[in-house]
Amino acid sequence: MSLPRHLFTPAFRVQHLGRSFAAIVGIMVFIASFATAAETVLLTASYLWGQTMETRLTVEIPAVGDEASMPQAERVRQAVSVLRALPDVGMVSPLSDSEVERLLGPWFNKPELLRALPLPTLIDVDRKPGAELSAQKIQAALKNVVSDAKVNDHGAWTRDVWRLVRGLTLLGGLTIALTALTLVIAVSLICRAVIAAEHETISLLHLIGAENKDIARHFQSQASRIAARAAAIGFLFALFLTLGLFFSTRDIMNLSSLEWIHWVSVGIVSLLVPFCATAIATVTARISVMRLIETFP
Amino acid sequence: MLTVLSHSKFQGQMLLSFQNVSLSYEPKLNILDNITFSIAENGFYFLTGTSGAGKSSLLRLIYQSERPSSGQIILFGESLTNDGHKKQAEMRRKIGIVFQDFRLIPHLTAWENAALPLRLTDAKEDYIKRHTQELLEWVGIGHRMYATPQELSGGEQQRVAIARAVVTKPRLLLADEPTGNVDEDTALKLLHLFDELNKLGTAVILATHQSHLVDKFHKPALRLVKGRLQKSGN
Repeated sequence: MSLPRHLFTPAFRVQHLGRSFAAIVGIMVFIASFATAAETVLLTASYLWGQTMETRLTVEIPAVGDEASMPQAERVRQAVSVLRALPDVGMVSPLSDSEVERLLGPWFNKPELLRALPLPTLIDVDRKPGAELSAQKIQAALKNVVSDAKVNDHGAWTRDVWRLVRGLTLLGGLTIALTALTLVIAVSLICRAVIAAEHETISLLHLIGAENKDIARHFQSQASRIAARAAAIGFLFALFLTLGLFFSTRDIMNLSSLEWIHWVSVGIVSLLVPFCATAIATVTARISVMRLIETFP
Repeated sequence: MLTVLSHSKFQGQMLLSFQNVSLSYEPKLNILDNITFSIAENGFYFLTGTSGAGKSSLLRLIYQSERPSSGQIILFGESLTNDGHKKQAEMRRKIGIVFQDFRLIPHLTAWENAALPLRLTDAKEDYIKRHTQELLEWVGIGHRMYATPQELSGGEQQRVAIARAVVTKPRLLLADEPTGNVDEDTALKLLHLFDELNKLGTAVILATHQSHLVDKFHKPALRLVKGRLQKSGN
């Protein structure tokens, strides 16, 4: 069974309801795709970043004024030995001077000033997975060799960051859900307008023996074609915006931890949006039409 | 010959049977009053009466656009009760209707309009194309197949409406004033078309107020006067 493709054309085309339908689907897909891509990138990046940072502590060995009594290199060597001897420690890695300079560089206008300052030595320490090694324990272990060492546990503040990310993710999810709800409401309103405009045609179809499901199926396929095209356009706009945004902010947002597989995952998850939107628009159109034409005499 | 028959006697052989059917919109506004008749398979019947006599209402009861206020209608051996939309659609697919105002879809071509009922069946596209084309040629507008209703004259539109009504080879054809908007010659040609259809096996009920046309065809007639069935036969 196939009714003429342009059966409902007057309402869809002549009265611009098709354009309104396409615009709403396109805009909703644009918003949802952008939110999904941003959310997925944020989640993936923060997860990867959190995986590293949550188990990491940084030991700071302040620079000594009197190199003659105890050279800084010796203090670092002793601290590293103590740290490596701790059973819950996985990896101990002192940062080179150039790495420390790179970290502090953005805070100093003049590089020569940075080189003139007595910089501390930083040692990255990774806990073994599941180990209960606190900053206090490390501090206590180092007390005898480097009494002025400071231990900074990244796990404490990364948990706060993770809570923030989860909050943002929830907000993103809420945005997507509200977008889907808006799409459902808008599509059902447009369907109502189309059905009102096509009242005569639908009455005739009933009189020649068309069942509601025949009419709804035909309407649904027409709505589906419009929705699919609009969703593709909305998605492409969102894609360009997302790529542009990531590219222009690549210096601010460090996304270097994301590998190609993560970017592919972001793409796949985002690509679900136009498909889901088309499906939502199609199903909404069918249900709306079925409900409306059931009230026809 | 048509006879106003009692339902109990002829129910088995009848295509359509009305039993004490009344239609009223308000308690005191009777459109049809206690109508009882039966018609046979493959028959050709005129439904006559002046404007407002209830002809269109009676046809609407047959194609279930309206429900009787009382009484029973039996069509194709089944009682027309409120069986739901699916059953109603199934019954309507066995009926062809030529509406007084044609009811052609303005943005579809004559061919697309005529083929519409076939598209509600499982007919193959090839068959739809061929059969609809043949039918439009048969009703005499094969050369105007791709014209839209606005580009057709009243008579041509009427022929498209007839083609659409018979394209699925219905068991019953209902025509509501099919000659009301055409000249005498065209009216006679249309009536001959209905006669030919009837000979091909479709029962026809043709509502008209033009009694002079009825007289030219020796067919039985149901005469409605103010919603009451007055007499039968011709």
